[in-house]
Amino acid sequence: MQHYIEHGPAFAWLRVRLEPEERIVAEAGAMVRRSTALEVETRLNASKKAGFLGMVVAFFVALMRKLFGGETMFVNEFWGPQGGEVVLAPKLSGHILRKSLDGTRTLFVQSGGYLASTAGIDTRLRFGGLRTLFGGEGLVLLQCSGQGDVFVNSYGGITEIPVDGQFVVDTGHIVAFDGALDFRVRSIGGAKSFLFSGEGLVCEFRGRGTLYIQSRNLKALVSWVAPLLPR
Amino acid sequence: MHFEIQYRPTHSLAIAHLEPGESVRAEASAMVSMTRNLDITTDGPMGGRGGLLKSFKRAMLGGETFFTNTFRARGTPGHVTLAPTLSGDMLAVELGPGEPLYIQGSSYVAAPDSVDIDTRWQGLKGFFSGESLFFLEATGSGPVLVNAFGAIEQFDLDGEVIVDTGHLVAFGAGIEYEVTKASRGWIASYLSGEGLVLRMSGRGRIYLQSRNPNEYGQAVGSELPPRQG
Repeated sequence: MQHYIEHGPAFAWLRVRLEPEERIVAEAGAMVRRSTALEVETRLNASKKAGFLGMVVAFFVALMRKLFGGETMFVNEFWGPQGGEVVLAPKLSGHILRKSLDGTRTLFVQSGGYLASTAGIDTRLRFGGLRTLFGGEGLVLLQCSGQGDVFVNSYGGITEIPVDGQFVVDTGHIVAFDGALDFRVRSIGGAKSFLFSGEGLVCEFRGRGTLYIQSRNLKALVSWVAPLLPR
Repeated sequence: MHFEIQYRPTHSLAIAHLEPGESVRAEASAMVSMTRNLDITTDGPMGGRGGLLKSFKRAMLGGETFFTNTFRARGTPGHVTLAPTLSGDMLAVELGPGEPLYIQGSSYVAAPDSVDIDTRWQGLKGFFSGESLFFLEATGSGPVLVNAFGAIEQFDLDGEVIVDTGHLVAFGAGIEYEVTKASRGWIASYLSGEGLVLRMSGRGRIYLQSRNPNEYGQAVGSELPPRQG
């Protein structure tokens, strides 16, 4: 498989050239164009080892998200007996990053940050704790494991941060992070700063590993636009 | 008349340079600034040619504003600057005689009066997505200014390709297309999230944009509070 990240950093897309029988899995709706030689299969983005109950939960979540908006959790898998080319694009303006996994480490991807992955990657839905429901700005994460490449997309530019110790990020700016990092979602200070600092919830990371953050925040855009809409 | 494009590719701005007596017809609301010596006439998209019915047809099917503005330079050279709504690149595609260009309705920005714009209606709608399929047909000779949401890819087709209509900007003559399923079955096509998908075949150039306005709208819109009243 050869991949090309083009038109970045403002409007990057991912062009993938697949060898015969090679597969790439992509977020629903991401396709720009593909060779007619490639076939498409639509399925849930759930682990193959999830078991029946896991599949039911994943399906329920996916259906809710399809109906009420947000990332769908449905994915399209592209492959063909002769191979071919497919181009995939994120929804928002921004860049794309490839992260290779060797099987020893996992990668957590903020759910809107997932663009695509190669066939050897397994994904599982994870919630960043109960706090995430509070304020609506929580973390819904995809845990990617296995061997292969994960392609993540950002809103804005991507900054790579080698965490060694502790680091704090606004939850809306998280793209992805090494599974070796411990993380905890909390408000930035007391009740006063939670209400008035404009920072909402933050994620506190501990340990050693790489963290990727984005220079824009979708929630911030939405809260800027919302009051301007006509009633 | 010629187009100059600045600030490519993210926030492109086009300058239409006009010699005395020359004119350019632009999508309504695209104007940013202009020299004082330009006369503006607001009329149907054909600059008066074709009449109301044609304008109406284009407004209904072309997904564009009902009116366009024609800027004509009086006496001395002048210019008008034009900007699309969304962030992204613009491109002036040069038309030759007998080489029409088919433009996705919302991608058209401007053209001189040597280019005629007409609507080509295919009578099809995305079964689930509700996206409608229509193109403006540009014929004649001269440059046609198109805009993209994101970057523009010029893709030279010789054979077949499947394209998501949300990413299609324009395509040249010699390309046939038909609506096709995005995935294997109809339910899978709905869940695949791809909306309306075309199988394009033949030889010619296709212009694609690296972002899909509908996808963007849904990503932002689904986070907004519901409209009241």
